[in-house]
Amino acid sequence: MLRIKNLTKTYGNKKAVDDLSLHIQRGEIYGFIGHNGAGKTTTLKSVVGILDFDEGEILIDSKSIRKSPLECKRLIAYIPDNPDLYDFMSGIKYLNFVSDIFGVASDERQEKIRKYADAFELTKDLAQPVSSYSHGMKQKLAVISAWLHSPKLIVMDEPFVGLDPKAAFNLKEMMREHCDKGGAIFFSTHVLEVAEKLCDKVAIIKQGKLIKSGTMEEVRGDESLEEVFLELETE
Amino acid sequence: MLKVLLKKQMAEVFRSYFYNRKTNKARSKANSIVLFILFAFLMIVVLGGTFTAIALGVCFGLTAASMGWLYFVLMSGMAIVLGAFGSVFNTYSGLYLPKDNDLLLSMPISVRTIIISRLLNVYLLGTMYSGVVMLPTLIVYWIIAGATVANIICDIILFLIVTVIVLILSCLLGWVVAKISLKLKNKSFIVVLIALGCIGGYYFVYFKAQVWIRELVANAAVYGANIKDSAYGLYLFGRIGEGDPLATAIFTVATAILLALTLFVLSRGFVKIATSTASVGKTQYREKKVKAKSAFGALLTKEFARFTSSPNYMLNNGLGILLLPVLGIFLLIKGTDIMTAVGTAFGGRADFAALLLCAVLMLLSTMNDMAAPSVSLEGKSVWIPQSLPIEPQTVLKAKTAMQVILTAIPILFAVVCAEIVWQATVAEKLLLCLLPLVFTVFSALFGSFIGIRHPIMEWTTEIIPLKQSGAVTIALFGGWGFVALFAVPYFLIGQLIGLTPYLIVWTVIYTVASALLYHWLNTKGAKAFSRL
Repeated sequence: MLRIKNLTKTYGNKKAVDDLSLHIQRGEIYGFIGHNGAGKTTTLKSVVGILDFDEGEILIDSKSIRKSPLECKRLIAYIPDNPDLYDFMSGIKYLNFVSDIFGVASDERQEKIRKYADAFELTKDLAQPVSSYSHGMKQKLAVISAWLHSPKLIVMDEPFVGLDPKAAFNLKEMMREHCDKGGAIFFSTHVLEVAEKLCDKVAIIKQGKLIKSGTMEEVRGDESLEEVFLELETE
Repeated sequence: MLKVLLKKQMAEVFRSYFYNRKTNKARSKANSIVLFILFAFLMIVVLGGTFTAIALGVCFGLTAASMGWLYFVLMSGMAIVLGAFGSVFNTYSGLYLPKDNDLLLSMPISVRTIIISRLLNVYLLGTMYSGVVMLPTLIVYWIIAGATVANIICDIILFLIVTVIVLILSCLLGWVVAKISLKLKNKSFIVVLIALGCIGGYYFVYFKAQVWIRELVANAAVYGANIKDSAYGLYLFGRIGEGDPLATAIFTVATAILLALTLFVLSRGFVKIATSTASVGKTQYREKKVKAKSAFGALLTKEFARFTSSPNYMLNNGLGILLLPVLGIFLLIKGTDIMTAVGTAFGGRADFAALLLCAVLMLLSTMNDMAAPSVSLEGKSVWIPQSLPIEPQTVLKAKTAMQVILTAIPILFAVVCAEIVWQATVAEKLLLCLLPLVFTVFSALFGSFIGIRHPIMEWTTEIIPLKQSGAVTIALFGGWGFVALFAVPYFLIGQLIGLTPYLIVWTVIYTVASALLYHWLNTKGAKAFSRL
């Protein structure tokens, strides 16, 4: 579903991502962990076509994000680390806007909005302007908008930040359900317990370089993910 | 603490003079100096010159009649009107809407300190505008009536009092706007209506001022006596300018008390207004069937939603929507007379009047420049169009289309009105319709072009991209320049070419220029947008 080959991205003289390669297959929840400034967000933004990169290749469903950006973006949904949505729109207008862009049919979008907004207890606030939403509500709206067009790959940057426990639980359920249906999820997180319980595979990045990746069992061995992470960080 | 906040505030205000947002680098000293000189030219020569002429006209008569106080009342009044009404909405957005309000309120900084640092912006703006009236007023008075030390000291205090009164009025009006906008549902439009009322009132006073001033100077003794009898405070205020120490002391104390009271009122309601999310709980969501739109349709709807949700956007970048129909109605009522009068003024040349009519239509259309700031307005949410499966050129087309639609409809109305009163050939009438429309498309494309070339993606208040950005300044003044480029040569070579061929040539020029800009937006512009 997603293949990152030798990705390198430089800001000035600093390599934010250095020769990173990953392969995320259908049905996988792939966790991406690393300390602040390790290059996670840069990688995710490159995957979804927001950031141009210097070297390497990113393939989504065998299509290059560079050569066929629109085709790739139709297969993706992206949730950034900070959900800066359109403040001047109401929640429902934003969801309809995203649906229009992805060409989601009227009935289909209505059904999905009903389903997910109810799950996140956001239905009664959908008519309110996004500017009046809390961080958590914006995050919920971003999550709902990501699920509207049934993407094949969902890319999320710290998706659990700001969510209340129930919403976080719902999101985890939705992630699992999405992958069980053949989709894939690539997300970054600092919450190692979540990564440990939720992810099929995990990659650890340090100073732009991939230092460990594989199935959860391969990466952590007999230790906890937290212990492995901290050991790798101090090396 | 105040020093730190003031430094931050000043850095934001003057950032564009020292820092090129496009290249992400500091400007060269020469570049900054040129920008400051241009700004100083506009303020000192253009505005200052106008008020020097008015001051000269009034001062001679009134000082000769020993009514210097009335001169100061008049000129200070103008300074206050110019300073206060110009900054009402800046006060509202500068005080209550900056994005870092929450951040600052969470820090160990007193509310009063935050307000004072914010008010410095308002004070500077008000002082700038009142200064272009007051400085010529004082200098003219010193030259004509003579300057003593007491006089100069009192006059400087008068200037300071005027700037503080401007600040107080701006604050109170801004506070009222904030209060109103908290209570109202469709506040954007109400705020725009109030603002337009203020602007309309301002220009009414501005245009009537000459007549009133003439009347006042001609009957200075009568009016002077009336003011002394019925409004002694005004007389006393004017006496400050003449160097009356008692009047100066009274007004200094009174102004200081008023300022303290204003700060007290503002600081009491500040947190509530600044952190309010006004419409929470008012509108209930009811599911209803929606009609799916195309990607372009969705983007265009989004642009309209952004425009209509922001009073600042509508007021600063969409005045043409109102002015063009007003021109049309004005032409229907007075058009025939004006066309005849202008034709007569140019030695019976009706073609000059027709050309000027066309130029005026184009000029008013440049008051719509909503495409220019629309790229910067994406701000931190630019990731949305960048990550969605839409071509960047489609995003830019939607921004351009909004300006075209919002300008073409009112300009067509004005053109129809103009053609009703203008006697011309079919070809001329067709061109009078076609050229402004082509120019409208050109202006919108130019706005998008400039918006992409001079983006500001990091801002704390939308006033920065809407009012203080290079893109908007270039789009507005550039638009005027393009109109001048069209109109001025006709007075030199018009006789040789004739009106119809001249209009055809310019229609072709603007069509070609539009095609070039469109091509640029589709290629380099789209690429630049995707990298913002």
